[in-house]
Amino acid sequence: MAILREYFKLAFKNLKTRRLRNWLTILGIVVGVFLVITLISLSGGIRDTITKQLKSLGGDVIFVLPGSMDNMMSFFGGEELSKEDIKVIEKVKGVDIVLPTAQKTKIMRYENEQKTVFLIGLSWDDGIEILTSFQGWSLNQGEWPSPGKRELLIGSMVAKEDFFGTEIKAGDEAVINGKTFKIAGVLNSLGSKTDDTAVYLDISIYEQVTGDRDGGAQAAMVKVEEGANVEKVAERIEEALDDVRKRRRGEDVSSFSVLTSDKMGNIVGGIIGIIQASVMVFASIAILVGGLGIMNSMFTAVRERTREIGLLKAVGAKNSAVISIFLIESAIIGFVGGMGGVILGLGIAKGIELYGQVHTMFYLEAYMPIGLIIFSLFFSLLIGCLSGYFPARRASKLKPTEALRSHE
Amino acid sequence: MKKSIIKLEDVYKTYRLGNVDVRALRGVDLEIFSGSFVSIMGASGSGKSTLLNMVGCLDSPSKGKVFLDEEDTSSFSESKLAQIRGKKIGFIFQQFNLLQNLSALENVMIPMIFQGLEESKRKERATYLLTQIGLKDRTTHLPSELSGGERQRVAIARAFANKPELVIADEPTGNLDSSSGKNVMDILTKFHTEEKGTLVVVTHDPMIAKYSEEIFNIKDGKMVKDHIQKEEVLWQS
Repeated sequence: MAILREYFKLAFKNLKTRRLRNWLTILGIVVGVFLVITLISLSGGIRDTITKQLKSLGGDVIFVLPGSMDNMMSFFGGEELSKEDIKVIEKVKGVDIVLPTAQKTKIMRYENEQKTVFLIGLSWDDGIEILTSFQGWSLNQGEWPSPGKRELLIGSMVAKEDFFGTEIKAGDEAVINGKTFKIAGVLNSLGSKTDDTAVYLDISIYEQVTGDRDGGAQAAMVKVEEGANVEKVAERIEEALDDVRKRRRGEDVSSFSVLTSDKMGNIVGGIIGIIQASVMVFASIAILVGGLGIMNSMFTAVRERTREIGLLKAVGAKNSAVISIFLIESAIIGFVGGMGGVILGLGIAKGIELYGQVHTMFYLEAYMPIGLIIFSLFFSLLIGCLSGYFPARRASKLKPTEALRSHE
Repeated sequence: MKKSIIKLEDVYKTYRLGNVDVRALRGVDLEIFSGSFVSIMGASGSGKSTLLNMVGCLDSPSKGKVFLDEEDTSSFSESKLAQIRGKKIGFIFQQFNLLQNLSALENVMIPMIFQGLEESKRKERATYLLTQIGLKDRTTHLPSELSGGERQRVAIARAFANKPELVIADEPTGNLDSSSGKNVMDILTKFHTEEKGTLVVVTHDPMIAKYSEEIFNIKDGKMVKDHIQKEEVLWQS
């Protein structure tokens, strides 16, 4: 194997003499690998973040949403859970508390600034327990609003100075739809921009302010009784709602979704999985194109070095030696391209992660499993070898008499 | 009894050039004995280069047999032939054919790599050879940093790297001025006399041929006559 080291040295020297062309060829591989690494790393990061948030909900909460998972458009169709639906859910065996939430964007005025906020109506009676123990809510200042009173609870970002121009403190007053509210408390950050820029109030007051008096809800959070099987309860809720909607109201399509945190995790994982798979396909094509670049460059090298190859064979190089030298050259190009792609890809993914954290736009931890890195390096090495094979074989088949030709 | 190092028996070689068959060799018989110094002379197009390829085992005949060290080379596989060629035969070319990206020392070491010689021994032998031909202080230079004569001397050192039994030189002085050419021929004859190696020089320059002990002439793919150099010198005087 000592001889392989010599072939390596020769291959390196050859690569060094065609520096610009080789760097360009390497760049072709870098682009493909960098795409794979960055996109997989970021989409994996998004999946991890969502999974983490779902886990923080705890396993004992079930979400009921209007609209069907099978028909994504129905989520945007303005469907609601009616008061009747909520009552049905409450009666299901194993259900402890049902917390319907309604939401709407509204303009809120504080001092003389106006901003559009996400107004979320909740029932404080039952809600505080679920929210503190399962959603991780906690007060930064002030106190929880009292049920039935015109009191607001604001997200951490709403309170900040850069939102309304002045910092909002508990006890201040703000105006929504011409009605004055007291700000009862300010929440600690909930970890997502949507939650932190929302304003929460009692659902009965919400109905007065928005005029939605039919009591429809955009979502309902269900806490199951202690010891009950979450999946079973979810199934029963689904059956009960199906029953109500189809038989009593005669709807032919029952359009709602009952989700447990496990199920949501699976859905998110599935979507990200599809994204990652398609990224892999396109990026692999990009790497293959890079491989064609290697092949092209190596064929040119074989032509240019005909004389040199002939000489090597004249002085005792076997076909296998010539193949080895050329294969090593193309493998080095592939591998260096892979390395460059990995470094650039991880760098950019990390950069986006830091950007998100510094600007508190999103929380995302770039996903960088060692397996992905090894796979990328291995794949680019493989592409290097495969695309170098035909040029190398052609080189090895050249006759040593080529070297003796006195004229080119 | 003299040992035969290369023997050609009724060798034919036909090339196909486009649509024409070129009959470069037409029944050549040639025997070169170990320890001799011979010249092969011929005009261009005479089949000289083809003959050289046969003698150097770089190509195989269309018909006939080539024996290297009394072994029939047609029985060797391509890689065995490469191995033997690297070990037993050293080549010197008109165009030097040095690897441009390697230093003088590394160029001389190349044939030894393929014989699997370890690095320290390769370095030692290459340094010794370069010292012998007066390029001791040029070992790290690239071919582009050397003069034509110096390049050819590096190529000579490379030809002798594996202590070959046979050294074949194809117009070794063809690209050199007369003083460099003389210098190169002196080195070659010195190697021949001191190491008792077999030397085959292909040339069309009678001055070069005069260094040798025997001259073979080739014309139209056939040997026309061979004679001992000394006899001719005697006859001429």
